[in-house]
Amino acid sequence: MELLRPSDLEELKGGLLIAGGTEVVPQLREGLLRAETLVDITELVPRGIEGTRIGAGATLAEVEAASQLPEVLREACRLAASPQLRNMGSIGGNLLQSTRCWYWRLSYPCRLHGGERCHAKEGEHREHAIFANDFCASAHPSDVAAALVALGATIRTNRRELAVHELYRLADESDRRTTTLGTGEVMLELEVPPAEASVYLKAMDRKRWAFPLVGVAGVRRGTVTTLALAGVAPIPWLLDGPLDEATPLRDTAYKVEIARALVARAIAKLG
Amino acid sequence: MARLIRTEKEVEGRVEEIWLVVDEDALEQWPAGPREVVGHATTRNDALARARGQVRYTADIQLPGMLHTAVLRSPYAHARATRIDLTPALAAPGVRGAIGPGECAELSADCAYEGAPVAAVCADTFRQAQAALELIEVDWEQLDPLLDGDEAVAGGRLIEEPRKHERGEYDRGLAEADVVIEATYRTQTVLHNSMETHQAICRWEGDTLEVYISTQYIWGVRSDIAQTLGMPADKVRVVCEFMGGGFGSKNNPGEYTFIAAELAKRTGRPVRCALTRHEEHVAAGNRNSTTQRLVIGARSDGTLTALGGEYVNDVGASGWVSMTEGPMLMLYECPNLRATTYGAELNLPPTLPFRAPGFVEGTFGLECLLDELAAKLDLDPLELRRRNHADSEPGGGRPYSGKNLVECYRRAEPHWERRHDVRARSTETVKRGVGMASQVWFGGGGPPSYAWIRVGSDARATVVTAMQDVGTGTKTTMAMVAAEELGIPVEHVTVAVGDSLRGPYATLSAGSSTTPSIAPAVRAAAADAKRQIVDLAKQRYGDDVEEFDIAELLSVLGNSQILGTGSRGPNPAGMTVLTFGVQVAEVAVDVETGEITVDRIAAIHDVGRVINPLGASSQIEGGIIQGIGHTLSEERLNDPATGAILTRSFDAYKLPTIADVPEIVTELIDVPDSQLTSLGSKGIGEPPIIPVAAAIANAIRDATGADVRSLPITRAEMLRALAEAKEKTRGAAAAV
Repeated sequence: MELLRPSDLEELKGGLLIAGGTEVVPQLREGLLRAETLVDITELVPRGIEGTRIGAGATLAEVEAASQLPEVLREACRLAASPQLRNMGSIGGNLLQSTRCWYWRLSYPCRLHGGERCHAKEGEHREHAIFANDFCASAHPSDVAAALVALGATIRTNRRELAVHELYRLADESDRRTTTLGTGEVMLELEVPPAEASVYLKAMDRKRWAFPLVGVAGVRRGTVTTLALAGVAPIPWLLDGPLDEATPLRDTAYKVEIARALVARAIAKLG
Repeated sequence: MARLIRTEKEVEGRVEEIWLVVDEDALEQWPAGPREVVGHATTRNDALARARGQVRYTADIQLPGMLHTAVLRSPYAHARATRIDLTPALAAPGVRGAIGPGECAELSADCAYEGAPVAAVCADTFRQAQAALELIEVDWEQLDPLLDGDEAVAGGRLIEEPRKHERGEYDRGLAEADVVIEATYRTQTVLHNSMETHQAICRWEGDTLEVYISTQYIWGVRSDIAQTLGMPADKVRVVCEFMGGGFGSKNNPGEYTFIAAELAKRTGRPVRCALTRHEEHVAAGNRNSTTQRLVIGARSDGTLTALGGEYVNDVGASGWVSMTEGPMLMLYECPNLRATTYGAELNLPPTLPFRAPGFVEGTFGLECLLDELAAKLDLDPLELRRRNHADSEPGGGRPYSGKNLVECYRRAEPHWERRHDVRARSTETVKRGVGMASQVWFGGGGPPSYAWIRVGSDARATVVTAMQDVGTGTKTTMAMVAAEELGIPVEHVTVAVGDSLRGPYATLSAGSSTTPSIAPAVRAAAADAKRQIVDLAKQRYGDDVEEFDIAELLSVLGNSQILGTGSRGPNPAGMTVLTFGVQVAEVAVDVETGEITVDRIAAIHDVGRVINPLGASSQIEGGIIQGIGHTLSEERLNDPATGAILTRSFDAYKLPTIADVPEIVTELIDVPDSQLTSLGSKGIGEPPIIPVAAAIANAIRDATGADVRSLPITRAEMLRALAEAKEKTRGAAAAV
């Protein structure tokens, strides 16, 4: 395996992009990703945080420490992973995390891997989705993504600008991808509009260092409140209807209950 | 003078009669309480070296020319390899050897569980061995797996005959009861997760096999290997100087040792076989899941009239049926009892002993049931336990060598009293409560175990025994006992352990038996040395040597050295040796989200004389933390249809983090068990994990009125129990 450190984005010619490595390296080790060439993009992607702009290479620890950023985002960073991982993992990489679905992680020939069935739906799925779980029941693991979706943040790549929620797509029969990022497309910067009030609440299986069972990101601007959820759907989930619309699996109904409580608390905190 | 005696030996509840060589003169008990050295908090003698990374664990050992092994394991819960071709693997870069079924006793084409070892490859590097593994051609015939314990019991697929216990007249006991409660409790499969993975390095030196291994039983590994390979035991040398945890999963050599031995023989090179972290999650043993269908009958004053239990241990493909019924048999005076324990043979990885096997699971069921009874009778749970205290073995059995459970209860009172304040701090959404649970376990240790001690004219001593220190601080305990008996500073005692070639036999480090077994032998050896020293000094100074200190006496030695030897004597005949304790937990439950926070656990344990209070409190803290993981977050998950193991990494299998650890208050009764040994010390390794789950579950009931009956207490289980409690209250209200 070779590691390239190109000096310019124009020089990118294939290879697997890597920044903090907290997601890519374990996936390489598990055989979920295979690559002859790794491309280290830490020198190519902006890292600084200026006002409401965040370089995609900024670490979660750096975002957490930037006091001008909305609370929902900083709290989502603080409650993610462990200090060691937050010191290494970049915010751009965080948005591109794969699901923690154990069937996917163990390379079962599931729908996300191009196969014919979702093993989790019939199998062990206590950590899985309560929304949009018909084709694939995986849950999206990113706290930060839910915060950014709730904030209505935008992403600038080397090709385009898009809203964070547009980064994600639900896999379907014809296309099993869960993001819209093109080959060779690299996230460069995030623009995070300010909020009047914001909050991130997270339920997990232990006090720290666990992926969200349910994460609730709430943002209020004037009388408009936006809520986005982590851990409840195959992608970060913008909550635009009642939780009664959830379609929990055999063993995920408890997530609806938790979401209901956390949403009520988030709204109360937002004032 | 050495003499041969016949005595009983107990390991984790299994008792056998053995002939035993002992060589000790009875020593007088030291008075209770702290001595010069013993009884004072003492930092471990290897703490600094461990913290600095200077000590050499098995995982650190690099032998010249050493090869590395990767093991092909069954990817299916039940399958047969109908064809295996190792040739492509043998041709791969760096590969030096490969073996398959029939070439090593532990490798088989018939796989009764996922992770069963089938073949192994050794190469210059571990990566090469792993890469070569992928080249092995295997045709698998998949077979239907049996995964459900109840189904196995119904179909007669049992590891051994069901174990039945009957005391008094069970049916009459139920008939006499004013209240009868039936409840089903379930516990999950959890993993040991030792910091050091299971591993061994084997090297042949002529006809002698050297084995460097992470083990809890140097001598057991030695004899198992000798027996399996048909060698004289003195041609097997077993070394384990430092060890990164075992918790019961490293009592035996394991397939990795036999694989390494065979590949070392074939290649003429030292061979390491070490499990990866993934393999630890699959094939390194576990605490099996259980289903416990329990019945309790009592009079309205709380006096128990009947206890009943049907226990199903989901043992796995092989293993033994741990004593899940133990707490029910041993904890309370109840005249009538009926218990049956089934060991289900399943296509799941075999269970291995795990820190108080059976008793952790069984105490969760029994002690939760007791609190359900207390709630139903509106009795104080502490008072209910006192009323049913067993003054001797329940059912008119043998006397205890020492039991201070009543004193534990008394010492628990201030912690228990806090419940009023704790409850008062509840809010609309966060309910707080306090719960308790008692503990009973073995832990008296026993013979045989031997120690030598070498003393020089510089008044420094070396304790030599081929014991292992599994990370519990055994070496420090031994140094303290030797220093106390000799009357020298503890820093002047060196302890040499961990090598079957360099010291006498010492016991298995399991069953909380290390300290109570070896420490009396060390004291006997030190006393033997001291006697010899005094005898020699008398020849120089006359009989009046009593007021000399040991250093003065030793000055006569010059370059001579004194060798003292000692052995562990027998346990008291006709007596039952047990450890006892009680824990009081304080929890907060968010009744909307099911979040459980353990705020405080007070642990009061009775383990006889405490040699090193610091070591003892560390053991208690470790046990409680491991217990919190067992109670709240840890679970090995399987696919319900195929049995495939799904939790293979630390993000899926959730150990507690430091943020999950509450305030832990430890108290030790510290009264020597004068019947047991010249030290009166018992073991503290296992007791502290035993009552944790029940204490937390009972605190949850105190806080919320909800009966949690399944481990781990996930959000889903907590919310289910809360909904059930709400339903019950509504039903009761409607009835009124």
